[in-house]
Amino acid sequence: MEIFYAIMAGTLYGLVIGIIPSAGATTGLVAMFGFIGWFASFDPYLGVIFVMAVVASSTTGDSFSGVLLGIPGANSAAATMVDGFPLALQGKATYALTAAITTSTVNGLLWGTLTFALLPWYSNLIMIFGIPELWAFVMLALATVGFVSSKYWVRSIIAICIGCFIGLIGMDPETAADRYTGGWDYLADSVQIMPFVAGLFAVPEIIKGLVSATTVAKMETSQKGQTWDGVKAVWENKWDGLRGGFIGAFIGFLPGLGGAMSDWMAYGATTAANPNEKIPFGQGNIKGVIGPEGSNNAQKATSMIPTVLFGIPGASFAAIVMALFMYLDFELGTPDLVYDDKFFSSLFIGFMGATIAVCIICLVFTRWIALITYVPYWIYGPLLLIFVTWACVQYTGGWEDYAIFALCSILGLAAKHLKFSRPAMLIGFILADRIESLSLQMSSLYTIDKLLDRPIFLGLCVAVIGMFVYGVFFNKNKLDYS
Amino acid sequence: MFKKLLVTVAVATSFATSAFADITLVVPQKPGSGTTVWTEIVAKELEPFLGEKINIKLIPGARDIPGFNKWHNELRQLDDHFMVSHGGNGVSFLADKVDYNYDDYESIGLMNLNIIAAHRTDADKNKPSFSSGSGMVPEAFAMTLLICGPDKSMQEYIDCFKENVTWVAGMKGSERRLAFKRGELSGTRENPAAFKKHAQPTIDAGEAELWFHHGILDAANASHSDDPNYPGFQLEILFEQKWGVAPSGDFYNSYVLVKSFRDGMQKAIWANKGNPNSAKLQDALRRMAADPDAVAAIQKKVGNYEWLIGADGDQQRDTLMTFITEDALKNLVKFNVEALSLKAIYKADLVK
Repeated sequence: MEIFYAIMAGTLYGLVIGIIPSAGATTGLVAMFGFIGWFASFDPYLGVIFVMAVVASSTTGDSFSGVLLGIPGANSAAATMVDGFPLALQGKATYALTAAITTSTVNGLLWGTLTFALLPWYSNLIMIFGIPELWAFVMLALATVGFVSSKYWVRSIIAICIGCFIGLIGMDPETAADRYTGGWDYLADSVQIMPFVAGLFAVPEIIKGLVSATTVAKMETSQKGQTWDGVKAVWENKWDGLRGGFIGAFIGFLPGLGGAMSDWMAYGATTAANPNEKIPFGQGNIKGVIGPEGSNNAQKATSMIPTVLFGIPGASFAAIVMALFMYLDFELGTPDLVYDDKFFSSLFIGFMGATIAVCIICLVFTRWIALITYVPYWIYGPLLLIFVTWACVQYTGGWEDYAIFALCSILGLAAKHLKFSRPAMLIGFILADRIESLSLQMSSLYTIDKLLDRPIFLGLCVAVIGMFVYGVFFNKNKLDYS
Repeated sequence: MFKKLLVTVAVATSFATSAFADITLVVPQKPGSGTTVWTEIVAKELEPFLGEKINIKLIPGARDIPGFNKWHNELRQLDDHFMVSHGGNGVSFLADKVDYNYDDYESIGLMNLNIIAAHRTDADKNKPSFSSGSGMVPEAFAMTLLICGPDKSMQEYIDCFKENVTWVAGMKGSERRLAFKRGELSGTRENPAAFKKHAQPTIDAGEAELWFHHGILDAANASHSDDPNYPGFQLEILFEQKWGVAPSGDFYNSYVLVKSFRDGMQKAIWANKGNPNSAKLQDALRRMAADPDAVAAIQKKVGNYEWLIGADGDQQRDTLMTFITEDALKNLVKFNVEALSLKAIYKADLVK
């Protein structure tokens, strides 16, 4: 019974965190340091179940914000809103959310099973992917988002460059000297992800909602019956969801890449696989929801592989999970832990139990939650702004947090107005330091001859070049999302 | 509803932790970082002996300097605020622009530890590849000594390092560990607890071997002694075995300086001088360090390190300060800038 309570408590907590715009799993996990000690003194295995439940449910929950409000629930859930939010505008929020939740659940269960049942087997596989392959993957992600996130691909490239520049503010990894800070010491620790995501996406949507003083959707379309339609849509587009799941799982498996690029690669693969759609992508095509939503729960599951096996975090949320588990007396990456069956059972039960629980809760309540799209924005917009602001000032709590949030909001408003792809800017921001550090590492450790001996690296490079050529010369992308 | 509930909980938690917290430990890092986790673990064990609630205040910032500066400039005047620092703060103190100064504080307690390096068996120890960063400076000195031998000028050591060592920038700790396991890096280093976790399995698999360690600082004698857990692998011993003489000279003195400031105060709790609560906290720490259960709980999570409490910690700090000489500091800065491409400044005011 205690296990059930732990799953349900973790699920509800994670769901609430997931629903808060721009927050996501990492925020929810960081807040857990305040009460994880209770589990340590009571039953640490219940703590493991609770943590995994938070990971699984917050990842499913972050679809709500993207679909209902056009604000990503987490930085790894930005692609969902590109088609999800237009569906909400058309009064089909329940349809979009149900499809998102169902495909998240299916892929979460599938990849959760494959991850936790076969965990020890993956250690050799991870060793195949070295620094050059990770570098090429990052470049492929950039190329994908550059050409799929908007039909204005030149502006997308510029947006990526702007994002990269902002992402490079902070410390030069070669000299440990401050860089691009303009003498503002606060920036020496780089621009934090939370105000950047919130400023880029949340504030422009909130302001738009407040200015228009209306509801997200008209009451013309009933939410009734949309739940079943959403489930059916997942079955009809099962290959898009499974492809997204595979992409998310693979990227989660590669240490350090994180989830931000997986949903965009899944979205890009979905648009490429469906070139002749009646409903264009970006205007409410349900496949644009199912593809990326397939990836994020799968990515969360497989991120645990390098985290558990080597004590090397597969993504940012996994680093917090590691610290929480250490507090519970489970040190990930140690050989002793491999023989702790109860620990592995707890990981499995927590993740899978919450995946199922959050699916049931969401499917039951989605059509009611979706009614928020009929509520005038001025009623909940200010509250939303307070929450987003609160999330953004958790770094130091000082005036600098507010200032950087304000600057990022101005950037977001300008990008939206001038049709510069905000997702492209976000992905550039997130991947900037990865590009730089992996480039430095690769150039230090590998010669051209050594690189030419690596077939996976070469294959990925060909894919990057192919994506570039396709994007410049043959791209018929009509996506008008900024 | 959910959101209102969350705000209520957050506000209530915030009030609860601040209202009942009698002692605040300031940590210059984000949640989940090494020293933050260490502080949480130690605070949990320390609370029963202190009989008061310990609040942990995180003040993150670049290179973990702003938090320490803020405590030095503002918070240390508050009698209930104490600072938790780590080895990186010690390295920054020597060659970075910081406000804090260990001379202005009294030690509540500190942990003195050793850092151990491993090397891939299939790679040439005279041509190592190693992850860069300000935290790796002592390792850069050590491998330069082992590779290049005695009786060289500072410039010759710098040239020798640049010729033989591949210094790989941009690696986080987790990337370094994986790159070492994969064989992309030929060398790595860890503290004793992390060494057992990350390097020992590779050694056990026959793919790597112990390379060197820096020794344990003996404050009373102002020297480093061999680590009984890894006997015979102290840099000084290996150097003498390889080159027939004990290491000495300007370059070696700079090495002793930087390794001592990083490892000799790897984890430390500081109070402002004259803080009336210091004795209470030192006493609680002494009783905790004498309690087998508390020690076992801490050792299990953060490793088996020696505690130096109160006056012993002050003596350790005072010993470290004696290592700061004009030549040692200038050469450290020169090596940082010219060999390691790190930003570093010479701070004349540190030399007494």
